Amino acid sequence: MERSYSRRDILRMGVAGSAGLVVAACAGTSPTPSPSAQASASGAAPASGAASPSAGQPSASPGPLNFLTWSDHWSQPGLDRAKTQAGIVVNITELSDNSDGFVKLAQVHGQLDLVSADALWVPLYFDNGLVQAIDINSVDVASELYSMAKQFTFWTRPEGYLGYPWGWSPIQIAYNVAQVTPAPNDWQVLIDPKYKKRVVMENQPTDIMLMSARATGAKDAYNMTDAELATAKDWLTKLKPNVLKLVSQNSETVAALADGSAWLGTGNLGMPDRVKDAKGPQVDAYVPKEGSIGFIDSEMTVKGGQNQSRVIPYLNIAARADLVAQNFIDNGRPLFNEKAYQVLVNNGHKDRADRYLYNQPEQALNMTLKGPGGRVQDYIDTFNSVFGG
Amino acid sequence: MTVRAVGGELASPPTGRLLPRRLLRLGRFWPFVPAAVLLVALFFLPLANMVVYSFWKTVLFRIVPEWTTANYVRFFANETYLRTFLKTIVMAAVVTAAGLAAAGPFAYFLVRYLSRRWQRVILIATIVPFWTSYLLRVYSWQIILGERGFLNQALMALGIIHEPSSIFVYNNLGVFLVLLYVYFPFAALAIYASLEKFDFDQLRAAQDLGARPDQAMRRILIPQIRPGLITAAVFVFIPILGEYLTPNLVGGTEGVLISNLIVNFFRAAQIPAGTAPALLIALFVTVLLVVFRKYLRIDDVVTRV
Repeated sequence: MERSYSRRDILRMGVAGSAGLVVAACAGTSPTPSPSAQASASGAAPASGAASPSAGQPSASPGPLNFLTWSDHWSQPGLDRAKTQAGIVVNITELSDNSDGFVKLAQVHGQLDLVSADALWVPLYFDNGLVQAIDINSVDVASELYSMAKQFTFWTRPEGYLGYPWGWSPIQIAYNVAQVTPAPNDWQVLIDPKYKKRVVMENQPTDIMLMSARATGAKDAYNMTDAELATAKDWLTKLKPNVLKLVSQNSETVAALADGSAWLGTGNLGMPDRVKDAKGPQVDAYVPKEGSIGFIDSEMTVKGGQNQSRVIPYLNIAARADLVAQNFIDNGRPLFNEKAYQVLVNNGHKDRADRYLYNQPEQALNMTLKGPGGRVQDYIDTFNSVFGG
Repeated sequence: MTVRAVGGELASPPTGRLLPRRLLRLGRFWPFVPAAVLLVALFFLPLANMVVYSFWKTVLFRIVPEWTTANYVRFFANETYLRTFLKTIVMAAVVTAAGLAAAGPFAYFLVRYLSRRWQRVILIATIVPFWTSYLLRVYSWQIILGERGFLNQALMALGIIHEPSSIFVYNNLGVFLVLLYVYFPFAALAIYASLEKFDFDQLRAAQDLGARPDQAMRRILIPQIRPGLITAAVFVFIPILGEYLTPNLVGGTEGVLISNLIVNFFRAAQIPAGTAPALLIALFVTVLLVVFRKYLRIDDVVTRV
């Protein structure tokens, strides 16, 4: 026998169904705090204030490790190994730049467990109570690092070390050897009218402002005076006609150099080999003589992260020398894992590793390190006024 | 409520029963509650939050609740933002005009000359690309219009050009072409829905009575499909005001629209500074909708699209 439904019945069922779905969705997205997170939240953190390293041991926490990072900070083999060896499932959220990460973390707090950031951004995270220090020497895999990477003064606080050092690179200019002659050595090649629509850069307004500061000789790249800002704006105005496009990822710069649509591009160490690997033309790269900006990046443990107990076990697996060596081959810029250098040498990549300064980590301290600036809105206004419609 | 007389006297209202009746009347609205909750929680509260943020400051990348109008002043004081906003309006208007000019004859042809079956086939073919993501569609245009793309290869094969040209992409032309492609189906579907209901005998009657074909079109057809044309224009024009992805992927440094500038503030964690111009655009759109409200009745939108 068929049952008939009134309009009211159908409305009632619809409302009940949607309410049920909302409740189910809410229940599904609020993970139960792990014992470690509860301990952290109740102040039962390690006495030193540093995150407890449970080296290589699977965490009792049932939840996945939520990792906000750049695409060159993780690899599928690393994630697979973390899952099989320690039962750690990692959720990756891609990060566009440092300020983006800072804002996201400030908004979601404990929903993330591990976050990447560059050089001088790291202390800002810490000072705002977003991340916590670790005892770097008690992390198993840290024994594979160059010792200098465990002693950066800007990451050292009484509470511990502010992050696990990952990689570094100055921003270089890569150029097509056949098209860009004579071989350049400065920033001014980017504004040469010969190269109209032949330059590709990453769409990071603050970084482009810092580059213009270096190119125009500003004293403090992060705090240009009004006069310096005006000079930088003039330089950007000359740069604009030469820029084919502002891309979102360095891989797009490599692709544009490889397919010949661009002859000049800015990016990290390693671009010549990456262009070559992409079957592109011969490309060379240099650090401009006026100086450059650069990054030293780290992985930071989020304060109050619900599954932060999995951070150190994850690093102990995913930051091992063999995976880091492969990361260098894939992404081109050097990392701080010294043992990985030996792996590269043993596998016949010494030339490539040396060319990209893998064995000279001290060079990382010769750059203007990336960090939060003091005149951000003025920088964005200047960038917008040049690149606006 | 009618109060009946009992025994020649007015009976006092039975308060015990009045309340449930009122509640019952209110109860009629309960199916609206989930939608109201969603609207308030996911639209009005975030919007109110944005309005408040737009009057606050950013200090060291953190939002500080100190009241200021500086974020709005910046938009009006810096010529770039006004110029880029104006350029965005012009781009939206040009794409809308081109979209209507292309979609009108297309829909007319479908309704007038094709069987129902073929109309359905062609309409489905028009919307099939929407089954893939917007990002993928715009990326494919980057490949089609690029120096090594299909368009350049075809023009070279035909002997029209002798070396790859970069005029099709990373400029305003590229943004225009891709926006036109992306929004054409919205215009076509809205106009088609209007034309489908039109009685073409009226055109014949007008011509029998001495009207020229163009007069019949102008005086008989267009007034009757005007709601469809307005719907199409609104559905194309307004989303383009907030377009970010297309100018970002195919606009290069020339094809920048206002959203691309606003995003730079958000990416630099200057949320209040980015929120103010975003709200100004929302206000502009609201004003447009108010202006067009008499043409855009809700049943037009619901039944025609």
